[in-house]
Amino acid sequence: MILNLDIIGVWLSVLMTLCILSYLYGDNPFYKIAEHIFVGVSAGYIFALTWWDQIWPNLFGRLFPSYVDAGFDFSPSYIIPLILGIFMLFRLIPSLSWLARFPIAFIVGMAAGLKVYVYINSNILMQIQNSAIDFSKSGWEIFNHILILVGVISALVYFFFSKEHKGAIGTVSKIGIYFLMIKFGASFGFAVMGRISLLIGRFEDLINYSSEQYNYATPIILISMIILLGIWSFQNNKSEKNN
Amino acid sequence: MKRFFTIVGTIDRRIIFLLIGLSVLIPLIKPNWLELPIKIDNNTQIVYDSISGLQEGDKVLLSFEYGASTKPEVHPMAVALLKHLFAKGIKVYIVSLWPEGPIMAKLAMDEIIASDLFNIEDGKDYIMFDYKVGGSIVIKNISDDFRGIYKQDYNRIPIEQLQIMEGVYSVEDFDFVFDFSAGVPGNAEWVQYACDPKDVPLSSGCTSIMVTDAIPYVESGQLKGILAGMPGAAEYEKMVYDYLTNELTNNNEYINENASITKGKAFSRMSAQSVAHLVMVIFILLGNLSYYYQRKRG
Repeated sequence: MILNLDIIGVWLSVLMTLCILSYLYGDNPFYKIAEHIFVGVSAGYIFALTWWDQIWPNLFGRLFPSYVDAGFDFSPSYIIPLILGIFMLFRLIPSLSWLARFPIAFIVGMAAGLKVYVYINSNILMQIQNSAIDFSKSGWEIFNHILILVGVISALVYFFFSKEHKGAIGTVSKIGIYFLMIKFGASFGFAVMGRISLLIGRFEDLINYSSEQYNYATPIILISMIILLGIWSFQNNKSEKNN
Repeated sequence: MKRFFTIVGTIDRRIIFLLIGLSVLIPLIKPNWLELPIKIDNNTQIVYDSISGLQEGDKVLLSFEYGASTKPEVHPMAVALLKHLFAKGIKVYIVSLWPEGPIMAKLAMDEIIASDLFNIEDGKDYIMFDYKVGGSIVIKNISDDFRGIYKQDYNRIPIEQLQIMEGVYSVEDFDFVFDFSAGVPGNAEWVQYACDPKDVPLSSGCTSIMVTDAIPYVESGQLKGILAGMPGAAEYEKMVYDYLTNELTNNNEYINENASITKGKAFSRMSAQSVAHLVMVIFILLGNLSYYYQRKRG
């Protein structure tokens, strides 16, 4: 039997995968444990990564370049983000939490300002421009362009609520509903495909880790879990009957 | 018949889970039982043609925005694209805007190096950078001032000392940008903050769930094709496999003579995907018929 850090990692990976998949049977302690570990590990990992890859080199590397060697020169203006960052932490002190409004206002204002131009340019102007029918293209392409144009207009009419959807507007808005339904159907189909892909990925790992090389991690953990889930389920039913 | 549909409607959901699980598991264990042909989608073809149009020595920026949960779909695309790029002698620059991005990029590069297909050198043929928090703000910075945020590479070497970084100051210095996307930030942010304003060609490989949101950008030409989920990955893998096999016989100077070219992972996963979809469609039909008969009975 081989035992090293890689094997321990594989066993943990198999255990966590099966714990999460056990939710398909129903809510149970294995799932709860895995869920809590996942939340804790993710938060810890992102915190450590953000600190060492972002705050430490980009902020302290510019304020204390002789101490933090990140390739930056000293820039005193970075005292402002440091102060704003400290203000953000004041949310934890109720009497000073109002100070957190300054960094939040800065973030919201900056993000909104940045987004306005790029959104109008890429998602509105360029999309409108490309909704136009290009008659220099081949037959099928012109048909596709017409279809897109009809879809765009009818879907927009469906969301036009200043006039009652009757007569011509009602008909166009109904066409819009069909286009929207097709879009939702396509989205659902793609979502299902994505979920199946994830399942394939997990199953592939479980199959790989069933071999002797990994000390039969998958079958051993799977059988143990089924037995323990059976016992837990039996005891749970018993205690429910007693109550 | 009516009785059958009524019974079907009352099946325990766990039995359906089990059948879906088996429909995925069996084709994975026995891939030879069912080999379905792969048809190349137009969007995949556009991606392949765009990459094929690049010249030796061109610079391509790759952005890794996926993690362990979306690895089965996106990772095969990354490996196939890296093979395609290195086989053409293109310089690769890797950034990560998701926390798990650098791990995924490292895994993909390790797979390429382990395949022994190319004689590539870190800092000369490719360069990797650490994860940067900030999403669209980082993309905006890459667009305007790459060196303002990236001072060192993944190995903590100052970029001034790296030959590959010569002439790279903003996104305009890249000949192509490719985004591996599984959420936000993703291809939409690259379109909006970098590639539309600076007019740099962009393409993307993304998870299935993102496809319907990304398609308008493809139709408008803001994205040069798209690799759509696992089928997109399988199609691209197949095209790259054929290309590499052909180039090996043509004595491509970037491909090692004795290297063995293997098909990617997405290709072998497509049978499982197709069978699972078939089972699901059957259950959707049965469920609807059952609902119809139950409603008819009142």
